Amino acid sequence: MNSIGAVFQYELWRNVRRKGYLFTTFGLPVIIFLLMLAANALSSLTQQDNADIAQQFDFGAIKAAGYVDQSGLFATVPPALADVLTRYPDEAAARAAMQSGAIQVFYVIAADYLTSGEVTQHVPGFSIDLLNSGPIDQLVYSTLAPNASPAALLRLNNPANFQEFNLERSSDAGAQNEDSDFLLVYVFSLVFLMALFITNGYLMQSVIEEKETRLIEILMTSVRPVQLLAGKILALSTLGIFQIVVWMGALLLAVTLAGSLPVFATATALLNVQFPLAMLPVILLYFILGYLFFAAIYSAIGAISSSIREGPQYAAFLTIPAVIPFYFFPMFIETPNATLPVAMSIFPITAPIAMMMRLTLTTVPPLELLLSLGLLALSVGLVIWLAGRMFRVQTLLAGTTPSLRDLPRLLRG
Amino acid sequence: MAAHSAIHIERINKSYGDFRAVSDLSFAVQHGEIFALLGPNGAGKSTTIRMILDIIQPDSGRIAVFGAPLTDAARNRIGYLPEERGLYKSVPVLEMLVYLGRLKGLSGSEAKKRGLALLERFELAEYARKKVSDLSKGMQQKVQFAVTILHEPDLIIIDEPFSGLDPVNRLVIKNLLLEFRQRGGAVVMSTHQMNQVEEMADRMLMISRGQQKLYGPVDDIRRQFALHAIIVQGSGDWSALPGVVRVEPGSNGRDGVTLHLAEKTTADDVLAEIARSRNTRIEKFELAIPSLEDIFIRVAGKDGGQ
Repeated sequence: MNSIGAVFQYELWRNVRRKGYLFTTFGLPVIIFLLMLAANALSSLTQQDNADIAQQFDFGAIKAAGYVDQSGLFATVPPALADVLTRYPDEAAARAAMQSGAIQVFYVIAADYLTSGEVTQHVPGFSIDLLNSGPIDQLVYSTLAPNASPAALLRLNNPANFQEFNLERSSDAGAQNEDSDFLLVYVFSLVFLMALFITNGYLMQSVIEEKETRLIEILMTSVRPVQLLAGKILALSTLGIFQIVVWMGALLLAVTLAGSLPVFATATALLNVQFPLAMLPVILLYFILGYLFFAAIYSAIGAISSSIREGPQYAAFLTIPAVIPFYFFPMFIETPNATLPVAMSIFPITAPIAMMMRLTLTTVPPLELLLSLGLLALSVGLVIWLAGRMFRVQTLLAGTTPSLRDLPRLLRG
Repeated sequence: MAAHSAIHIERINKSYGDFRAVSDLSFAVQHGEIFALLGPNGAGKSTTIRMILDIIQPDSGRIAVFGAPLTDAARNRIGYLPEERGLYKSVPVLEMLVYLGRLKGLSGSEAKKRGLALLERFELAEYARKKVSDLSKGMQQKVQFAVTILHEPDLIIIDEPFSGLDPVNRLVIKNLLLEFRQRGGAVVMSTHQMNQVEEMADRMLMISRGQQKLYGPVDDIRRQFALHAIIVQGSGDWSALPGVVRVEPGSNGRDGVTLHLAEKTTADDVLAEIARSRNTRIEKFELAIPSLEDIFIRVAGKDGGQ
């Protein structure tokens, strides 16, 4: 146990100081936070410059237009529209201006515009390019919006937030916002995969380095291969979990510090999701089993690889399938209980991600959950056994990668 | 120090598929001796060492280290320096020493204290916080040696201890090994530098094709291979001496001539004749004992080398 502890401490201390780890763990959230703040600042700057144009409409091919206001609501042209829009006292003046080429089109705003919304557009001939209500939309918005309350403005910009009720959900879970569900699953899976691949990549590198430098022979006189493997997996798993905690903490901190800013609306929505807390232990179990599964695979690959370049190539073959559920995200969102999502949540390689998605999106039948967990636990046992077989003296001391023909012999031991 | 041998090996065998790496090998290494393990490349030396260290297990036979099969505690009393040296390249020297010391059962603070003392002794103290990759090859060799003795072992197993070292550092390592023997430690030294074996080793085992060829005290083995001849240096007509059948100039770069003697003539007879003779004058007279290198070539050559 002392040896495992020594390996654990050393690997932890060594890898936590890696520039790559420090950057992805602490630098990345800071950079994302700063970028979002910058985006926010830029956006407010633009808003200040165009204080009277909170929303920009598309004018299409219209460069110069006129209007006749019969409602009396639009007596002056807002400064930002002055280059495009000219007010005429009556239709005849406006028509004369159009015929002379001073304006391309003109609009007539009806006397009862406020109740009827009626606006007529006059064009010199038929032209799809000029059939555009942009200038008049902009005039209405710019004239009326400054007098509206902030809440009304928000509704003007974002008229409807649709609530969808998913009948597959149990009634006590309640209805949830689909966008937020999507985000939660996406962010959780992404964070899990990033941490998994980054830290397990270090695990593999560490094994290959000891092989490549031949230090392994000295280590073998002090520590059993299985102790070395256990110490490394524990250390790198700790770093992986720590990384996830930091990222989640950073998200929380960002929302606490700047949650009211518009650019953080998504992050705020993410934290407001009604998380199925009852499922948390199961999700954690998947997380741990999934982590161990890939840690064992990565260390086995490290044990049979003879160079630092070789390992990641083998690893890619085995880890790409883990990401497959991402490609079927829409299907998971729409029909989490369809055959494919169910199959992927049971198949051990795709199960950690696929089941985490389904658990946050639907109620998974207990039998499926048991089958998936049982298969995953069995597979974890199998890959750890395989890794143990690979992580043996003969393989570790060999300077070359075993061929496919050698694998049965290695597995027999 | 306990009465048992540091290493006791009885009839061990090891095969890899059809290849017999070690065959029916037996030997013992005592405390307070430097034991040379010799043999041509591929003779089975590394396999034997790895079996002693329990890195690999023999197919049959018995290995006792400090009087019993190797336990984790006994493992921590061994210092091992394999032929293919390895260090973490991107780790500071002292940090790596502390880690490897901890794996040998030392506390972190003790490993640090001893590591610093050893670096001081090897004149590497200023490199304690430098990365291994910043060190020259010779410095890395010294760090390797520091790793081997950091935990103050009772048995050192060392493969080619002087490879890559300049004469000054060779002397430092040699003195350390001699000191270690003087304190009662056992050293198993595998090397191709026969002059070092002649200078340092008390006893030796030579294997070829996995089998024992020579085993015993170095001086006794050399005497076993002594020619029926003497080496003399001086002047006179050596061929005229009674009992001398052939005169050979020099021998393996040594000064003087080699006098091959008739079957019934002894070295004492020739010495008496020289004393009586008025035509000969001697400055040096010694038995023609071959060097270990000659013996090695003779024994390994007979096996066809490997």
